[in-house]
Amino acid sequence: MIYKGQIRKIDDYRWLIPGHIRPGTHTDALIYTTEEMLDSILQDLSLEQALNVACLPGIVGRSLAMPDIHQGYGFPIGGVAAMDFEHGVVSPGGVGFDINCGVRLLGCALTETDVRPRLKELVDQVFRDVPCGVGGHGDVKLGSGDLDELLAKGAPWMVAHGYGTGEDARFAESGGAIREADPTQVSQRAKQRGQGQVGTLGSGNHFLEIQFVQQIFDPTAAEALGLSEGQVVVLIHTGSRGLGHQVCTDFVAQMNAAMRKYNIEVPDRQLACVPIQSPEGKSYLGAMNASANFAWANRQGITHFTRKAIQKVFGGEAAVRVIYDVAHNIAKRERYVVDRKERDLLVHRKGATRAFPAGHPEIPDRYRHVGQPVLIPGSMGTASYVLVGAEGAMRESFGSVCHGAGRMLSRTAAKKGRNVEGVRQALEAQGILVRSETRNGILEEVPEAYKDIDAVIDVVHNAGLARKVARLRPMGVIKG
Amino acid sequence: MSHPPFEILEHTADIGVRARGPSLAALFENAAAGLLDVAFDAGAVTARESRPLVAEAADRESLLLNWLQEVLWLVDGEGWLPRRVEVHEISETRVTGVARGEPRDPARHVLRVIVKAVTYHLLSVREDRGAWVAEVYLDI
Repeated sequence: MIYKGQIRKIDDYRWLIPGHIRPGTHTDALIYTTEEMLDSILQDLSLEQALNVACLPGIVGRSLAMPDIHQGYGFPIGGVAAMDFEHGVVSPGGVGFDINCGVRLLGCALTETDVRPRLKELVDQVFRDVPCGVGGHGDVKLGSGDLDELLAKGAPWMVAHGYGTGEDARFAESGGAIREADPTQVSQRAKQRGQGQVGTLGSGNHFLEIQFVQQIFDPTAAEALGLSEGQVVVLIHTGSRGLGHQVCTDFVAQMNAAMRKYNIEVPDRQLACVPIQSPEGKSYLGAMNASANFAWANRQGITHFTRKAIQKVFGGEAAVRVIYDVAHNIAKRERYVVDRKERDLLVHRKGATRAFPAGHPEIPDRYRHVGQPVLIPGSMGTASYVLVGAEGAMRESFGSVCHGAGRMLSRTAAKKGRNVEGVRQALEAQGILVRSETRNGILEEVPEAYKDIDAVIDVVHNAGLARKVARLRPMGVIKG
Repeated sequence: MSHPPFEILEHTADIGVRARGPSLAALFENAAAGLLDVAFDAGAVTARESRPLVAEAADRESLLLNWLQEVLWLVDGEGWLPRRVEVHEISETRVTGVARGEPRDPARHVLRVIVKAVTYHLLSVREDRGAWVAEVYLDI
């Protein structure tokens, strides 16, 4: 176990674990956190995992961890690792089983005052129209050959096939599709697991929330993003469903077998990796990008069903537009200046969000002068945040920030001493209606199971990685 | 005191299963029972059909992982729920067996959670004085 005496404080928000305390590391680990949160982070294996990542061949800069860090498999959740694109490795564990798990924010031409009196009607309509929960099957019909097209083209394919409107896909990271996707690298099993799941929410920590803008911190950025106080928004949190899970499973197995060939040893088999430029590495990236496109298509499908549900209740004039969509489990090829040299890198974000600052060419024109929108969901019944990327992220965190509040309690501990009705009533007393397919969906995700989202956000804001734009408060929660 | 065939382990984000058995074959059956218990109520499933199961791997830990992935495939890939899983033959590198169950009927079968994957995280299979113990974590 790592103990506090081994960790060096750089400033109030940066804590360094020197690589030399563990054999096999190539670099140090840097944790963005406060001292108070660090004490709780030390309770599990997440910092050991951050040092394990520092052992991966070709890692550039430090192994990074965001304030929402918690124990994952292989990589910690909340971890960021950049690899040299020519000489480094790619690790499916550094992306995770839920490839392109991410968050999309929809802005509605409605206010809290419009929605409050008809909240129950709205929540029930969305709950009926957006398939969720275990075994939830979608209403997106795919003919033969359609799945491969969708894997190649992502969210724009959905819009072109009637599941969305013109501008939807433009306001997503990578335009909702990565061109380098290779559907032929996705196994038949993965395709079968994903068939029928486009436009479905899933279970676990995935959710759809109807929220309102409670507070604006940065009026200029809020205006550019089209956010105003009291406005109703919808936050969608889901990923690539069974398809992505199977792709990760397939490649972890394949890479465990292939590592020997490349003389790679890792401290945890869940960190299995191969050179990016190897046939296995290229094959994984093709499949991962296809899975990422599946996830963007999935969130596009949910957008379509949500928009219809809102318009059924409030009429066709209740415009619903996509504000932005971010991936928080992904590996992306990006360029950064490291030690005064421009480098071509593969940035693994395992529970971390891209946060490009103002002026970056990847940001849609409308937002480019304020920075890339960063969407951070809180736990059920607490707040979520909209931020924009800041210069600090470009300088030191490979354009990355946190991805959520970060779990603190195990699922069993979360359920202890609580019952569904009690949790439901406590949330209703705060004006939040909850609908869930399963009891676990509510009990395991109680707010007490997570870190304080406000504290997590303050760390990335104060560390200069991103700037707070708006705080969102839920009114209706739909869980799998 | 005798141990239960499996028990659930705590993990911050996910869930683990510790399985035990008097033989490697029993261990693999009990680990599968643990996985099924996490995913749904196997008591509500009728064992009226069977599906063959085969897994291979270079070592015992990977063999358990691949075996459980085959079981998970039935649930999440085929929509077919095992009530129980039996091992017929097992070596260090290959296991064969059968799952007995039925196709999922949403009216009768309540799934508890989607198990995304079986992981290598802290995966272990060991023998202690004739008793086998395995630990495996599931991503949910």
